[in-house]
Amino acid sequence: MTIPDYAVLREAEEFLYREAELADDHRFDEWLALWTKEALYWVPCNEEDVDPRKKISVIYEDWKKIDERVYRLKGRHAHAQAPRSRLARVISNVRLGDYEQATGGTVTSRFVLGEVRRDTQSVWLAKQRHVLVRVDGELRMKEKWVYFINNDSPMTNLTFLV
Amino acid sequence: MTDIALHAGNGLDVGSLIQEGRVHSAIYTDPAIFELELRRIFYKTWIYIGHESEVPKRGDYQVRLIGRQQVIMVRGTDEKVRVLMNRCRHRGAVVCERATGNVKFFRCVYHGWMYDTTGKLIGVTGREAYGPDFKPETMGLTPAPRQDNYRGFVFASLSPEGESLRDFLGKAAEMIDFLVDASPVGQIAVDAGVSKTIYTGNWKLVGMDGYHPNYVHASVVDAWKRDADSGMGATHREDPFDDKAESRTRDLGNGHAMLDMRKQRMKHYPVYEGFVRGIPGGEEYVKTMLEKHGEERGKLLIALAGDPHVGVFPNMQIINNQIRIMNPLAPDRTEVNMYAVRLMGVTDDFNAVRLRQHESFYGPAGAGSPDDAEIFERAQMGMLADVNPWVEISRGMNREVKDEDGTIVGLITDEVTQRGQARKWRELMTQAN
Repeated sequence: MTIPDYAVLREAEEFLYREAELADDHRFDEWLALWTKEALYWVPCNEEDVDPRKKISVIYEDWKKIDERVYRLKGRHAHAQAPRSRLARVISNVRLGDYEQATGGTVTSRFVLGEVRRDTQSVWLAKQRHVLVRVDGELRMKEKWVYFINNDSPMTNLTFLV
Repeated sequence: MTDIALHAGNGLDVGSLIQEGRVHSAIYTDPAIFELELRRIFYKTWIYIGHESEVPKRGDYQVRLIGRQQVIMVRGTDEKVRVLMNRCRHRGAVVCERATGNVKFFRCVYHGWMYDTTGKLIGVTGREAYGPDFKPETMGLTPAPRQDNYRGFVFASLSPEGESLRDFLGKAAEMIDFLVDASPVGQIAVDAGVSKTIYTGNWKLVGMDGYHPNYVHASVVDAWKRDADSGMGATHREDPFDDKAESRTRDLGNGHAMLDMRKQRMKHYPVYEGFVRGIPGGEEYVKTMLEKHGEERGKLLIALAGDPHVGVFPNMQIINNQIRIMNPLAPDRTEVNMYAVRLMGVTDDFNAVRLRQHESFYGPAGAGSPDDAEIFERAQMGMLADVNPWVEISRGMNREVKDEDGTIVGLITDEVTQRGQARKWRELMTQAN
């Protein structure tokens, strides 16, 4: 087992924590700004790995659709987020995949997401995979894949940022 | 709990809960009425189970619900698709514990009884313990008392008697055709996954409503305006949910109802055809469809895009690119499963566009479904305040008309659909168990 350089891992981790914080706090524009224009936001459905050309996902979006999602959430008519969910996610098991400090790469992790909305507390559990790229010195996300382990069960309102 | 709960099934005139232009909120909130619905509606009438393409190979199965009873839709070794009760004939345990899969046999792990994929009992452990009166040939998995199929759509009924599936479907059958015939080879595969959602509200709230989009889906309408040439934008040009539009609500009879978008979509056909032609394989699709079905029907099929927007009573709908089942779990709990469809005979690119449209609006993180569920939950909460228990469904009663084909038609925001569903509900609920 190779142990990654701690500073390299820390920078990637820091990005994930930052992203989680912006999502938890509904800071939509700042969250959107983490994405590159070439983007894939993918939350598969029914299984962990599906062929998106032949199967539906929970979310399968390019930048334009992500932008639309944020636009709707910011508007006055996103009823399923009125009131908004209160969120707190804890990210752990952060590991670097094919990753270079200079260019970025794949980072995998897992999270526990607690949600409270209208007096009901829910727990969401997922594996996630980010593809980060370095743009003008800063890390940005190019891909984000989230596999909820209950994605083959009936799901409740998942309209906050995941 | 209302007084009605105390009396339901105990001499109460359930029919009085459905009146001209209004329904009593107890039909949404009352546990006793929910139990009666299971017996008088779900265990009586035809219920959509699944599509044959969901079990393409021998031994493929899908476990589904009729009310709260589990059934297995399975393709047997004889290629026949059957609907069997998921219950061992010995001590009643389910014999199939997964939602979907492929098996050679169903084996009840309680005491090891085995059934083949036609339902036949083929193995009893310790067979010698049963005498000559034990007839294994009569002890197979119990089939649903009636089963039939319309263009691959498998329906079952727990009642041994009643009208045929074709009579039950009536005018809804030709609406199912709009989905199947959107495929240039007249075939669909219901194999593109399922969006499963659940909400805290009654199953009837899903309904079929042309009045809500500009309010419940205001955020989506705004987004369409932002990008009028997107796929969904292109099919929803010039507010189809305005009473000035050519869209209509239609009561097809027998509780089946639709938002009839045919004229509205045809009005904007040229723009939509342009969108379709722009998809890889789209040129070929338009050409084939027009050749196969002729100009008039071909254009209509292209314009509708396989979306008749129809509700088949009590709990199935065909909307956008999905076949939807609403499972009643409790008076205030409903599961909505949306089975995405692929058209056969088109390119993967063509289907991918349809799948992306589905995700964008439907499912737990879509732009539409969660807002629907949200409003159903608010309605469920609100209806518990029953000092004045009546729910108003009279909109457009003053202007609905009977069409030449006998269906009742109203403007798009009229509650023609709700009244049609309520009428059928009343008919079934006032019959004996």
